[in-house]
Amino acid sequence: MWREIGDRETGKIRPNLFANRIKWNRIERLQLSDHKEIVTPHRGSINSLQVDLTEGRYLLSGASDASAAVFDVQRPTDYEGGGVIAKHNCIFSVDKQHEGGHRYAISSAIWYPVDTGLFITGSYDHHINVWDTNTTQVVMNFKMPGKVYKIAMSSLATSHMLIAAGTEDVQVRLCDIASGAFAHTLSGHRDGVMAVEWSTSSEWVLVTGGCDGAIRFWDIRRAGCFLVLDQSQSQLGRRPPILERFATNKVSISKSFLTSPSSFTKARPPKKLANGNGLKQSPIGKIPAKGPTRQRLHPGMLSSQDRATAHYGAVTGLKVTEDGMYLLSAGSDSRLRLWDVESGCNTLVNYETVRLQTSKPIQLATTQNSALVFVPCMTTMKAFDVWSGKTSLTFSGHYESVNCCWFNFHDQELYTGGNDRQILIWSPSRLVSDEVEEGFTQDQDHWSD
Amino acid sequence: MEEEREGGGGKVRALIERATDSTQPDVDPRLLKAIKSLVRYSDSELRLAAHTLMEFMKRDHSQVRYLSLLIIDQLFMRSKLFRTLLVENLDQLLTLSVGFRRNQPLPAPPAVAALLRSKAIEYLEKWNSSFGIYYRRLRLGFYYLKNTLRFQFPNLQANAARLQQERRERERRSKEIVLNKFETLKENFQSIKEEMRLTVDEIGECLDIIRNGGEDSMLLDNLEDEEEIEEFRSSELRQIRHETLEEGKKVCENSENKVVFDALRELHKLLVTNHLVTIQEWISVLIRVEATDNRFRDSILKEFIDIRNHLISVKKKCEELGCALPRIANNEEEEDFWEEGKIGLNESRASHPRENEDIATASTSSELKNTTPGCSYKVPSGKKILECEGGRIESSSPRSKLLAEAPVMKWGSYLDSWGSKRDILANQRGLDLENHWGRVDYDAVIPAEKIAELNVQATVYKEEQLEIQPCHAPLHKGRLCQRRDLRVCPFHGLIIPRDDEGKPLDQNLSEDVITPDSGTDLAEQLAKQAIKNVRAKDKEVARKREIDQKSLKRAKLAKVRKHNEAVLRDAALASTSLSASAGEDMVATNSENASTRSNKQALASMLRKKVTAKDRIAQRLLNTRARDATVRQLTLDVDANYKEAFPNQW
Repeated sequence: MWREIGDRETGKIRPNLFANRIKWNRIERLQLSDHKEIVTPHRGSINSLQVDLTEGRYLLSGASDASAAVFDVQRPTDYEGGGVIAKHNCIFSVDKQHEGGHRYAISSAIWYPVDTGLFITGSYDHHINVWDTNTTQVVMNFKMPGKVYKIAMSSLATSHMLIAAGTEDVQVRLCDIASGAFAHTLSGHRDGVMAVEWSTSSEWVLVTGGCDGAIRFWDIRRAGCFLVLDQSQSQLGRRPPILERFATNKVSISKSFLTSPSSFTKARPPKKLANGNGLKQSPIGKIPAKGPTRQRLHPGMLSSQDRATAHYGAVTGLKVTEDGMYLLSAGSDSRLRLWDVESGCNTLVNYETVRLQTSKPIQLATTQNSALVFVPCMTTMKAFDVWSGKTSLTFSGHYESVNCCWFNFHDQELYTGGNDRQILIWSPSRLVSDEVEEGFTQDQDHWSD
Repeated sequence: MEEEREGGGGKVRALIERATDSTQPDVDPRLLKAIKSLVRYSDSELRLAAHTLMEFMKRDHSQVRYLSLLIIDQLFMRSKLFRTLLVENLDQLLTLSVGFRRNQPLPAPPAVAALLRSKAIEYLEKWNSSFGIYYRRLRLGFYYLKNTLRFQFPNLQANAARLQQERRERERRSKEIVLNKFETLKENFQSIKEEMRLTVDEIGECLDIIRNGGEDSMLLDNLEDEEEIEEFRSSELRQIRHETLEEGKKVCENSENKVVFDALRELHKLLVTNHLVTIQEWISVLIRVEATDNRFRDSILKEFIDIRNHLISVKKKCEELGCALPRIANNEEEEDFWEEGKIGLNESRASHPRENEDIATASTSSELKNTTPGCSYKVPSGKKILECEGGRIESSSPRSKLLAEAPVMKWGSYLDSWGSKRDILANQRGLDLENHWGRVDYDAVIPAEKIAELNVQATVYKEEQLEIQPCHAPLHKGRLCQRRDLRVCPFHGLIIPRDDEGKPLDQNLSEDVITPDSGTDLAEQLAKQAIKNVRAKDKEVARKREIDQKSLKRAKLAKVRKHNEAVLRDAALASTSLSASAGEDMVATNSENASTRSNKQALASMLRKKVTAKDRIAQRLLNTRARDATVRQLTLDVDANYKEAFPNQW
């Protein structure tokens, strides 16, 4: 570490690189924090965790006892054991007794991405509530046709305020906070939808994973889905080689490629609607707006294509990487799959998962540079290398299944919540000097004989 | 790990294996000590121990897990490294020891499993309270078991704290009460004082009246005194006379001063039963109260003590003058307390000169509720003061001497006519048939001789109770035999004095001590000693010879065995290509296996079912078969003996 600081001082490494290295070192040393703990007011399993996107400071948790709570993860509320243990009590919590509170388990709780003034909870009592953080009052309420499994808001959105909600129902609904009504109803799934995720590269693209095992991509500006991921369509490695891409890319919209493969496209019916063009990266959002070919692709998509599945069984978790180029999906077949969003191919990375929870949606997390993915594997958390699928870290501390996790980029901390009603903080282990400073007087060897 | 085990390590593993391979409810302390000392100086051994213990915790036998847990606790409380190692796998440890996961219940036997669970929970609480601050996982496990699974923890610390709290609460409350009393005292102080003063004054007046009344006779006495002094020379007689004179000085109750005496009696009673008691109470309150103005308290206290001393002196005066008074006043009410009072009495008599101060100071230790004991204490002590004053003379008086000699008689109706030689009416009360009053026939008397005859005291000889000493022979469980027999214990023979560990004290030593005293039969003693020495020497020689013989025999046997082994080895070499050393190895491993197997069986026996009554009946029914079996066993034994005797025969 000192060497790196020296390098930075002499200008050998650039600030970005330096920061990333430090962060990486810290991430590698993640372990159960001895000195920081969250005191949960929840009396049920924790289903959802999210740190707000604006300050990176307030952790929102939703639990099965129909309660949601907000914690300040940076400033502890009190100390214990002579200042050794910092305790984070919740700043406030809302539960059943609260006016307009949920009656059944909260399955998903998210912050309004723009600021911390609002947060949204989705519950098994068929409702989605929008809360004012400061008054802890319900300001808006959406009645859904079934249990709400998962809600999501786009962190990029500048032109809409839509909550995408995956429910028991086959249709995915978009709730507009601005108007207080349903803006869209996306139908295509043949079973409930457990996972909903907005694209991180386009504000119009929504990814949903259903209990029917399908992962669908939607452009919310037009009806129908434009892409269904198929686990049998695979590519090796991170990107298909260029030559092969010429052959496989049936639809290429970018102007440079438009001339030659267009005839190709017509000759063969589009089997896969990937729009991969590696060199000139165009955001996915723009794609549907382009050529007239797009128009044909849905709803008249071939039925075989429409029936493609990404997992055997239900899709329980989705996570788009920070750069929006890859999608990670977890299924009840205990598999984790990495998809190339552009080509829509399964990259065939074999993650060393042992078993994944099947009955509940799980929440995945990635590091900022998409090097690691954190996955709840029953009672343990595992961190896999995204590209090789090797297990790099294992976190075991929960006594029952882990449901959700959130990785805090700023502090390089991981928060996990599980069925044992605990929210655990995993933080980089402290340096030795810190420990010495604190003076571990009590915790010493004590041999009487 | 493997390397460590090869490189001289692994000793701890063997030790742990031995320690956990037992059916006892505790780990063998020597093995435990060995493990601790081994692990203390070597981190690698400690790591190995942690690993091994976790491995043993996975065994499918609750006893093994239980003993492992005991060892784990010992090391956990001592070593930091061990803690860090173990806490990493705490959930696993808890799963294996508490068995909270439904799919992984604790193994048989169920009794030990229950013990294991309770111990594990207890340990977890202990660990959490002492090291929870440093280990998040420990806190987490504790919290999970306690709040999520709702396990009942023994809550040792919390219980202690609660008791402490309760005690404090009680103290606070009693303090409050005392303070309240103090407040009321502040208000009523004057009236109390006034009341007491009134009583004392009245008593004084009464006494004055009585004294004045008795003055005439006193004068008479004085006259007689001077006359008769010369007549009584003997000191004893003089003593008696003195007493009678003193007795005479006391004014007796008669028709004239009866009213005064009655009033005095009343007042005295009031004084003893009411004022003295209340004053004692107030003093104890004052002593214990923690008032804000100490000066006021001290002044009141001082005043109270003065009043009390005054009261006591007045009371004394009362009793001196009217000796009949206390009898009447006391006997009715304080009879019951008399016995108790006696206990304190002995002390108070001993420290008589300081008594007053003592009472003042010693009452700090007296309790609030002792108002009645305090009263009972007061009265006898007052009496004692009387007695003691005369007692100084009395101690040499013939009465006390006679008292010391006098036999203690049992109580009986004959005591009525003790020493009288009168004839006694046969029908004393005129009782007729069926309880109707009849005439008393004054002629029908029982002569005195007859009465004496009837009252002859027959006493039964009572054996003096002698405490029978326990046998105290050491038992194999480590305790001492507690059987009490007069001379011979049926299990350990003649009862002899033994020390605390049950070893017989050296009889000879005590004899030696005695011998110089009884110097007459010194020669005899010496002779005895000599004989004993010679015999001992003979025995020594005999034993040595025996040992020699045995060793010779053993050597012979060893030789034979060696020869046999050589033959075997040769044969083995001839049949297989194994080397000779391999054969040796095999023997070693075989023996080891045998030993472990026997241990295993001991543990396995715990899993087996207990013998029920049904089994026993069955066994009895099948006894014939058993007899056959024993016969067979015996023949086998004979065979074995034969083989032992002639091992070199093939």
